[in-house]
Amino acid sequence: MILEYHRPQSIDEALELLERTEPRSVPMGGGTWLNSPSQDSFAVVDLQDLAINQIQGDGKQIKIGATVTLQGLMKETSIQRELVATLRHEATINLRRQGTVAGTLVSSDGRSPFATAMLALDAQLLLLPDDEIVGLGDLLPVRAEKLKHRLITEITIPRNARLEYQYVARSPADLPIVCVAVAQWPSGRTRIAVGGGGESVRLALDGKGPDGALSAVESSLSTLQDEWASAEYRQEVGGVLVGRCLESIKTD
Amino acid sequence: MDITLVINENQHQVRISPGEKLLPVLRGLGYMGAKRGCETGECGSCTVLLDGKPVNTCVMLAAQAEGHQIETIEAVGVHPSLGWRQTKGLHAIQQAFVESGAIQCGYCTPGMVLVAKELLERESNPSEQQVREALSGVLCRCTGYIKPVQAILRAAAILRGEIDVEEGTGLEWLQPFPDEPLPPNDISPIIDTGTDLQVRVHPKVIIAPETARLKRVGKPDPKVDAIKLVQGKPAFTDDFERRDMLYAKVLTSPHAHANIVKIDVSKALALDGVAAVLTWEDIPRVAYSTAGQSDPIPGPLDSFSLDKKVRFVGDRVAFVAAESEEIAQQALDLIEVEYEILPAILDPSDSMKPGAPIIHDEPEYVNFDESDPQRNLAAQIHIDIGSVDDGFKQADQIFEADYEVPKVQQAHIEPHVVITYWDEDDRLVIRTSTQVPFHVRRQLAPVLGLPIKRIRVIKPRIGGGFGGKQEVQIEDVAAHLTIATGRPVRYECTRKEEFTSSRSRHPMRIRMKTGVLEDGTITANEMYCLSDTGANGAHALTVTGNTGHKSMALYVGDGKYRKNPNIRFRADIVYTNHSPSGAYRGYGVPQGFWAVERHMEDIARALEIDPIEFRLKNALRAGELQPFSTAWSEGREPSPEVIETCGLEECVIQARAAIGWDQKFGNAEWHQIPEMPYKRKGIGVALVMQGTAIPYLDMGGASIKLNDDGSFNLLVGATDLGTGSDTVLAQMAAEILGVPLEDIVIYSSDTDFTPFDKGAYASSTTYISGAAVVRASDKVATMLRQRAADMLNKEDIGQEIDPIDIVLMDRQALAPDGRSITLAEIAHNALHHENQVQIMAVDSFVSPVAPPPFGAQFAEVTVDVQTGMVTVDRLVMAVDSGVIVNPLTASGQIEGGMTQALGYAVCEEMVYDLNGHIREMDFRDYHIFHAHEMPTLETIFVETFEPSHPFGVKAVAEIPLDGVAPAVGNAILDACGARIGAIPATPEKVWRALKKHQA
Repeated sequence: MILEYHRPQSIDEALELLERTEPRSVPMGGGTWLNSPSQDSFAVVDLQDLAINQIQGDGKQIKIGATVTLQGLMKETSIQRELVATLRHEATINLRRQGTVAGTLVSSDGRSPFATAMLALDAQLLLLPDDEIVGLGDLLPVRAEKLKHRLITEITIPRNARLEYQYVARSPADLPIVCVAVAQWPSGRTRIAVGGGGESVRLALDGKGPDGALSAVESSLSTLQDEWASAEYRQEVGGVLVGRCLESIKTD
Repeated sequence: MDITLVINENQHQVRISPGEKLLPVLRGLGYMGAKRGCETGECGSCTVLLDGKPVNTCVMLAAQAEGHQIETIEAVGVHPSLGWRQTKGLHAIQQAFVESGAIQCGYCTPGMVLVAKELLERESNPSEQQVREALSGVLCRCTGYIKPVQAILRAAAILRGEIDVEEGTGLEWLQPFPDEPLPPNDISPIIDTGTDLQVRVHPKVIIAPETARLKRVGKPDPKVDAIKLVQGKPAFTDDFERRDMLYAKVLTSPHAHANIVKIDVSKALALDGVAAVLTWEDIPRVAYSTAGQSDPIPGPLDSFSLDKKVRFVGDRVAFVAAESEEIAQQALDLIEVEYEILPAILDPSDSMKPGAPIIHDEPEYVNFDESDPQRNLAAQIHIDIGSVDDGFKQADQIFEADYEVPKVQQAHIEPHVVITYWDEDDRLVIRTSTQVPFHVRRQLAPVLGLPIKRIRVIKPRIGGGFGGKQEVQIEDVAAHLTIATGRPVRYECTRKEEFTSSRSRHPMRIRMKTGVLEDGTITANEMYCLSDTGANGAHALTVTGNTGHKSMALYVGDGKYRKNPNIRFRADIVYTNHSPSGAYRGYGVPQGFWAVERHMEDIARALEIDPIEFRLKNALRAGELQPFSTAWSEGREPSPEVIETCGLEECVIQARAAIGWDQKFGNAEWHQIPEMPYKRKGIGVALVMQGTAIPYLDMGGASIKLNDDGSFNLLVGATDLGTGSDTVLAQMAAEILGVPLEDIVIYSSDTDFTPFDKGAYASSTTYISGAAVVRASDKVATMLRQRAADMLNKEDIGQEIDPIDIVLMDRQALAPDGRSITLAEIAHNALHHENQVQIMAVDSFVSPVAPPPFGAQFAEVTVDVQTGMVTVDRLVMAVDSGVIVNPLTASGQIEGGMTQALGYAVCEEMVYDLNGHIREMDFRDYHIFHAHEMPTLETIFVETFEPSHPFGVKAVAEIPLDGVAPAVGNAILDACGARIGAIPATPEKVWRALKKHQA
């Protein structure tokens, strides 16, 4: 239940509101997740008037404002083509127009295509106060605690990394049962993230190259057993998908 | 908090709670075009434009919208003619939606129009893919998306000035179907939108010669309710407000099986704003059935409005009525319940085991037929036709296999919703989204302690039902609370409650055994079905009976077996602690055809006989007895029925040509995709039949009266739940009375004013209610002819006119000598001038037969043989539904039905954990197909003229559900050898079947 609504006009004002414990105050991007039915009681701090909805190319990096909508990010020409595919896969077009990049990541579960891709891209989040930069992979397991009284203002992803994404689902637009995203930098650095179930997407590999990709994916999926699919299936199919991603990167 | 909203350029100062969503605020201000379909933003029926962009208002706070421009459907366009006031008329998009048949129930239509408006304002010449992408934020359960896509493309062409709307609507009557089947993959356009895309508004139709003379029947008239629905007018149950309305919520069980030891509602009652809390101790204990069916209910009476025992997670525990939904929800949290948890049955194969927990141990339980609550048996069926054991002995080979189908949800976008209130005569008014208003009245009367005459049920527009609203499911909740409080009460299910507490398709485990000769003749066919009815037995007998009655009737065998088929059908319909199963479009038949048609495919392949040839060799033909008609009739006395019309072979010819079966089946090269060696293409077929109404039982009535201007009021109890039945009924009346459709003002349905009709189910409305309309129209036509003759003969010119020679057409009564009188003149004469009388008539119809429609359904798929992921590329259905009264609405039925069945084939299922909790509680997990992921759909009508109906019609609504899943299953087999026994064909199931095949 939402107890209070605030729309601060500055970052400082937002942080002041978020600092409160009574009521617990949380930042609201588009609200598509916070406004879904919930038993929790909290106050919301609507970020729409803060100027944190810009996308900027900065050399080898792309800085994405926290309240950029998913649909807004899809229109950004400098981002990876496959990142656009994961955005399209993440939510319906109406929800993409409301949902924000930061809100989607912090509320993501293990079936999130976008979070899988952003984890592979080693997305870095800027948290205020303290200007702390946190990798998405470090944040997701501890997000509830880590984000208390904090505000994400910006997310940075590499511009020069190649990205490939493959998934399996019950239908083309259904959320994945297994998905794999592979990011590869010009240096050869390769990060592989997997998703399709569980509370959070998982990092399978962060190496100088793709060596060991198959076993890393299989290992990462070895415990992902739920009512949607068996771990046995996900391991084998995850291996297939990572092979396709790497092949695609190689031949492109 | 106080905020200012700018809606359609009007400023509104509103006081809201901080967490209040934009949707209820808009609706509270009277903007009813935004509808509630879910609470998670998945369905998009609540779409409005915010600063010109579509957003979902169910997941947006009203406070978030302050400072933005909100545009709702109410600002888009209005009726083109509102008396003396000039209007801007409908928007081109709205007009195109009306003309293209893009509107079925109309609940999602405002959202679709708004996303289309945004699209066309930024992209004047969109591709089909862009249109589908724009529509992907709005779920539609009725249309299959084809016609909305076509409407938007047409609107785009109109807005670009490439179609002159004055030159024609694009709905001119289509050319007769060619004698030869069209070549494969033919997608030649019926109308040209001026875009690069080929757009087919109409299906292909082979027109029955008997219909050639007809003026309105057979014509693609726009739906009679389309203009109101495309404007988002307040036509649905919840678009209506009463002063002092209370809001109801239901506390539901967290346990699958438990006794309620104690309930303490004192804290809930003490909460400010709570008007009533009801538990089982507060209301009469009346056993009844929630199945909306004619009297006597063919099933056990095993339900109570509230009980001291809960039988599934989501079962009712208490009702609350409060001043707002939020307060009602808070009150639920304050109710303290002590449960005695009982062992639960979550596997139907455990239900009848000795020592199993007894789910219905209440003494008030009323048996029907072979129900036996001591064995958890809601119903049992034993049908033997011919000498089945002898047939098996005569077989060269016997094939046995097991099949399974899941529990799935109707997922109508408008949830169950009801408003109840006492009227000024202290009669209880129930305004409800129901398919069965007359059954609601009859069945609830004893539950509420009211005589039938003190209940009035009003059925407004319905936002989809698909069988889910054939249940008397929620009306009692609001009614009890109105009785308790004396105040109006509104109760609407949340989307979560639709999954946890509503009805669903029966899941079944089916065993097939079939004996065949080497030449492919079926000598005996047997089906055993274990059907899970869940916690209650509503529809238990009749749904599962139809599983055998239709699917096992299609293949009678050949040669001597054709006249004396050997068929056995056995079924145990058992109670479990799952949510109750019930009616869902197809009514047991899709379950049966999954098993039968997968089985037939395997047999044909094992015998190395062409699968189509094998099927047609054994299939039922015209002139033969429906074999089950002598054995079973929904729990009533059966009566022999001969199949008068069967277009099955022609359906096969047309559909196989349309999909290119002869070029693809058995063509190894076609099955390969060179650039993707891990993918295989496959093609599959299923032949199907349904029924049309229930013989000697289903009855519909109609009343018609003439107005001063020569128009007519047509009152029907039939229930248009978005299917277009009001339109086709009006077309039949217009045909007989010789007037355009606009002169028939149809109203349905209200138990106080409209004649009885059993309601919308069993694919019966066009046939049963239609025949009632024809009969009433014939009576009125006779009166019109008589009065016209009297008026003409009074002129004393020439030979006396015999009324029988007068023809009604073009709003006139035409005499053989060329003289004519308008219907308005006749009306004035009858109402005002001489021998005054109201020209009107009432009639009804019940049929002695249930003539089956037949169909051939084909699917083309691509299977990823490394992952098991199946993509359905194309679905084609050729169907013999008799004469098609309106090809626009009928093809919409087929397209929408195929789309629902597609979900049944590949992605829809309700999965329960070991404690009886369901996995799917929203449209994120319960995935129904979106516009941008649809395969190509094609519909072909093969008309026959069914002699038992005055216009030759048969059913169309349910048959498309029957064959998609087996056609897809057979196409998967064709693609890669994976033999799927259970749907949905999820990637892991296909992957495992592939492993088995490869081993």
